Amino acid sequence: MRKYAVIYRSVLMENLQYAANIALGFVSYFIFIFVFINLWGYMYAEPGTRIGGYTKEQMIWYAMITEMIWFGARSGTVAGQASSDIRGGNIAYLMNKPYHYTLYILTRYTGEWSIRLPMYMVLAVAVGITMVGQLPGFGLPALFASAVSILLGITINGVFKLCISLMSFWIEDSTPFQWLYDKLILILGTVFPIEIFPKALQPLIRLTPIYTVCYGPAKLVVDFHGDQYLEILMAQLLYLAVGCGLMFFVYGKGVKKLYVNGG
Amino acid sequence: MLMEGDSSLKVDVMGKTDWRTEAKNQVRVCLLSVKYNIMREMINKVTFLTNICFMILNNASFLVQWAILFRLKEDIGGYTFKEVMLLWGLSAGSYGLSHIFFARVFSLPELIINGKLDAYLVLPKNVLLQVMTSSTRTSAIGDLIYGLIIICFSDLSFGKVLLFLLFTVTGALIITAFALLMGSLSFWFVRMEIFGNQMLNALVSFATYPDGIFKGAVKFLLYFIIPTGMMVYLPVHVITDFDLRGLLVVFGYALLLSAVSVTVFYRGLRRYSSGNLMEARI
Amino acid sequence: MHVIEVEGLSKTFRVKRKEKGMKGSIQAIFKPRTEEIRAVKEVSFTVDEGEMLAFIGPNGAGKSTTIKMLTGILYPDGGNVKVLGIDPTKKRKQLACQIGTVFGQKEQLWTHLTPYDNFRFFGAIYDIPDGEIDRRIKELSEAFELSGFINTPVRNLSLGQRIRCEIAASLIHRPKVLFLDEPTIGLDPVVKENIRSLIRQMNREFHTTIFLTSHDIGDIEKLCRRVIIVNSGQIVLDDSMEHLKFSDASLENIIMKIYQEKGEEARVL
Repeated sequence: MRKYAVIYRSVLMENLQYAANIALGFVSYFIFIFVFINLWGYMYAEPGTRIGGYTKEQMIWYAMITEMIWFGARSGTVAGQASSDIRGGNIAYLMNKPYHYTLYILTRYTGEWSIRLPMYMVLAVAVGITMVGQLPGFGLPALFASAVSILLGITINGVFKLCISLMSFWIEDSTPFQWLYDKLILILGTVFPIEIFPKALQPLIRLTPIYTVCYGPAKLVVDFHGDQYLEILMAQLLYLAVGCGLMFFVYGKGVKKLYVNGG
Repeated sequence: MLMEGDSSLKVDVMGKTDWRTEAKNQVRVCLLSVKYNIMREMINKVTFLTNICFMILNNASFLVQWAILFRLKEDIGGYTFKEVMLLWGLSAGSYGLSHIFFARVFSLPELIINGKLDAYLVLPKNVLLQVMTSSTRTSAIGDLIYGLIIICFSDLSFGKVLLFLLFTVTGALIITAFALLMGSLSFWFVRMEIFGNQMLNALVSFATYPDGIFKGAVKFLLYFIIPTGMMVYLPVHVITDFDLRGLLVVFGYALLLSAVSVTVFYRGLRRYSSGNLMEARI
Repeated sequence: MHVIEVEGLSKTFRVKRKEKGMKGSIQAIFKPRTEEIRAVKEVSFTVDEGEMLAFIGPNGAGKSTTIKMLTGILYPDGGNVKVLGIDPTKKRKQLACQIGTVFGQKEQLWTHLTPYDNFRFFGAIYDIPDGEIDRRIKELSEAFELSGFINTPVRNLSLGQRIRCEIAASLIHRPKVLFLDEPTIGLDPVVKENIRSLIRQMNREFHTTIFLTSHDIGDIEKLCRRVIIVNSGQIVLDDSMEHLKFSDASLENIIMKIYQEKGEEARVL
């Protein structure tokens, strides 16, 4: 465990150097939120209306939280780095190191978002309070509860993205699949909550990673209910367990293939 | 055409040929570069094709988002679903065209910071054009195809299709020039790379939402600071409701922005050659 | 006639400094510190037509900076440069038509194309008409024995074959001066020898002036008739190979000794 802590610390230090660069990425986040504020401002023409059970403020805060997760968890390590390690043959050196490669990558990923996420969180809160307004019914319990859910969501996201990268053991280029995953999250998960979708589609979307990666945490922030909290948390833990299992399984298979075919 | 015998003399002795031949040769070299770039991408045919197909799918997937939004309200910012499709087609087409021919402009900061312009400076051709055409992005072909697919699915008249194609070209010119301008900032500020990328991001992000949802100062910003307005909004309006003045404005703007960005690039190149950025590459 | 004339050439860079550790990282964000580095200090020399010159020195001595100033990539702060009578700063394109460059660790060829297509591409870049280009390709192919693989994509060639093509490509426009930056880096002894004889041959047949930098003693010893050694931005030795060979120590030892000394002291020597 100690070695992962050392890796974590060094990545943290490395990324602190880029804090200013990360802050420049705020522009992009701000643009997204800005577009949503305008878009929903237009959609909620009359004040006091609700769409899919959400008020205008809740709707915008929802997108702000999902985008915060999205931007905070953005990482070249789990996607690009891992797949180029595997395709470029670097993996042969890395897998014989005294750590588990997948955990090494996830530790690096954690080091990255440990800097990014808090920065985006500050931004989100600042933008939200000045441009959208406070959320009614959001208090300390909701804050602590949803924080746990957000961290779990980000970790699940990393595990899934790494799983996709591990496909590089077999296929030439895993980026199209990263795209597919990203699109799933971005288009179906971040822009608006599941309730906006046609009724028939809703149960289907609840089964995808969207529910645990972005919908769940954001929903808890926007509209906190104790019973729903437990449901989301359970789903997240289940997803994490399944995701990790899949990750170890695929990695093991990949390494075996490497030994047989010599890369 | 030059005579074979004296041509080598002409090149060797002075390197001077008249400007028309020079321009012709320059265009020939650029087209050859683009062709070779695409050939390089095609070495791995599976990757090449999946990249293109996934980009088409990627663009099409956003229509899901819009279909759902239009279920809630019939018009969004004065646009119907048809016009949003037009907006998307134009954005994707312009973006694609620009990245097929001039993809390197979008990684200009990397070239500047790592001293990779050196290789182009020892060639007897226009530095900017050589740099610009030195790489391509495969997925951009998908973007361009998506733009063309949109035309097929829309019920545009022949004249409007021509307008669409024309605006795809001016749009590509505007994106490229804007990227050149932003990328050239790296000649002065090393950390500007991310800022420039954000501005480009903004250009593209705004380009896929109807301008009617923005008001006042933001609209001004989108027409005069980030050129999304000139790239797609005004063209969409001109296509749906023809207006010669709008057409001319878009043309004028594309030329002006190109001129400004080329000037800034060459200013920066002078700084590059003075070694003011040497810190990263001694 | 002097092909290269350099007089009082100087170049100074400003370089950012970063202290170690977390504190340094934070400090670098808020208060970057800069330092002046005089990469080249008042360097003067001339090169005659058809000469083969080794321009050597330890890493960071100012070799590359000097080459960059000779080829028009970098502008000097002070002094004069004339290559083939042309000021590289003012007429870069015109100069580019008449000089060639080969950088050992950077490839200029398109790896997915055949050498033949590459030569055609460079022919287009240097505005050589089609008929003429085919004639030159034939000439180079015969001189450098490329015919066996001229239609094989460059990425499938061995490193030695590839370097031969790199050099041939840089000669397509018949440059009068060729700048070779570590042309034999990473090659096995046989290929190295091959390349060296190629360079000699090119010097003999086309009277190309060769400006070579290399860390390989063999390159220097076997190719060049004259050696210029730079250290800390100054010329510390400019002598003919013959003269150097008369001294007791081997060339390697002489170079080692000079590399280890500081620029200032070595100047007295």
